[in-house]
Amino acid sequence: MNHRSMAITVTSGKGGVGKSTTVASLGLGLAQLGYKVCLVDTDIGLRKLDLMLGLENRIVYDLVDVIEGVCQLRQSLVRHKEFPELALLPAAQTRYKEEVSPDQLTAVVDELRKEFDYILIDSPAGIEGGFRNAIAPADRAILVVNPEIPSVRDSDRVIGLLEAANVKHIDLVVNRVQPGMVRDGDMLSVERVQSHLAISLLGVVPEDKRIIRSSNTGEPVILDAKSMAGKAFSNIARRIAGEDVPFLELEETNLITKIKRLFSIA
Amino acid sequence: MSIVAFLNMFGRDKDEPTAVTADDRLSLVLSFQRSDIDEKKIKMFRTRLIELCDEFGYDVVGHVEVIPQAKERTTIINASIPVRLKEPI
Repeated sequence: MNHRSMAITVTSGKGGVGKSTTVASLGLGLAQLGYKVCLVDTDIGLRKLDLMLGLENRIVYDLVDVIEGVCQLRQSLVRHKEFPELALLPAAQTRYKEEVSPDQLTAVVDELRKEFDYILIDSPAGIEGGFRNAIAPADRAILVVNPEIPSVRDSDRVIGLLEAANVKHIDLVVNRVQPGMVRDGDMLSVERVQSHLAISLLGVVPEDKRIIRSSNTGEPVILDAKSMAGKAFSNIARRIAGEDVPFLELEETNLITKIKRLFSIA
Repeated sequence: MSIVAFLNMFGRDKDEPTAVTADDRLSLVLSFQRSDIDEKKIKMFRTRLIELCDEFGYDVVGHVEVIPQAKERTTIINASIPVRLKEPI
């Protein structure tokens, strides 16, 4: 690949909106496109990416070991079984976020830039030390938001903190969208969320039961050909890589749905 | 059971919602957060507006509403002040 390495922090403020799901799928999506990708789990003490990728049994060293000089950086990287272009730098599970500083994480990411095209940093929830570590090395940020008021309010706060930290390129991914609820006025629309946050829209991911299965099996949903969420993540990965990909049509448009809607039963 | 408690069962004593739609509520929530506005500040703002009207020769003849709204990354403070010119004494 002949382009500058890019570090992207995936963050949200609020927990449980789908950050790690997004990082795992986008990492695989970019690796499928042929890029060398490293995922960095910065949620020290509460790591998840290893489970999302099915790599939990292969971890020997972690991020804190690298920072403390217990091992070389390359020794800590866990390669994906099917996609060796994808590597994971796992977080320590039995340590604390305070044991890593923004400068130390930046130094690790700078080292990763020499080998990888994309470095995706999975930020912990919240806006404390772990979040500050995660945004320190970022060239750009992806904000994962659910279309509900608590998530949007937290994201609005995070945008302010990112801008204060000089991260100017911030993109929005609206996750867990339910078109039926939006249509009935029970959920904020993607357009309204984007209008309130006033940042560019990178992708829209529908609510999908297959995501629960994927996080339990350790196979990111992007590998599930039948999943709409997987398709949406695949499109987002292509947009990150610079492709112009149209947004998915999330509304079901088959004949039965149209008839049901006509009689107000869908 | 007291009469008040009985009426409360039917929601007679409940606070009014801050906004009707989710979008309006989000707009209000974001404007409060972005501008560090709270109910106390809005009350003080309202009092000062009434004083200002008096200074400019107007009587306030109805309820003064001060509603912050978020538009993109800016907060717009909308004030609705029903006034009438002061009667000459």
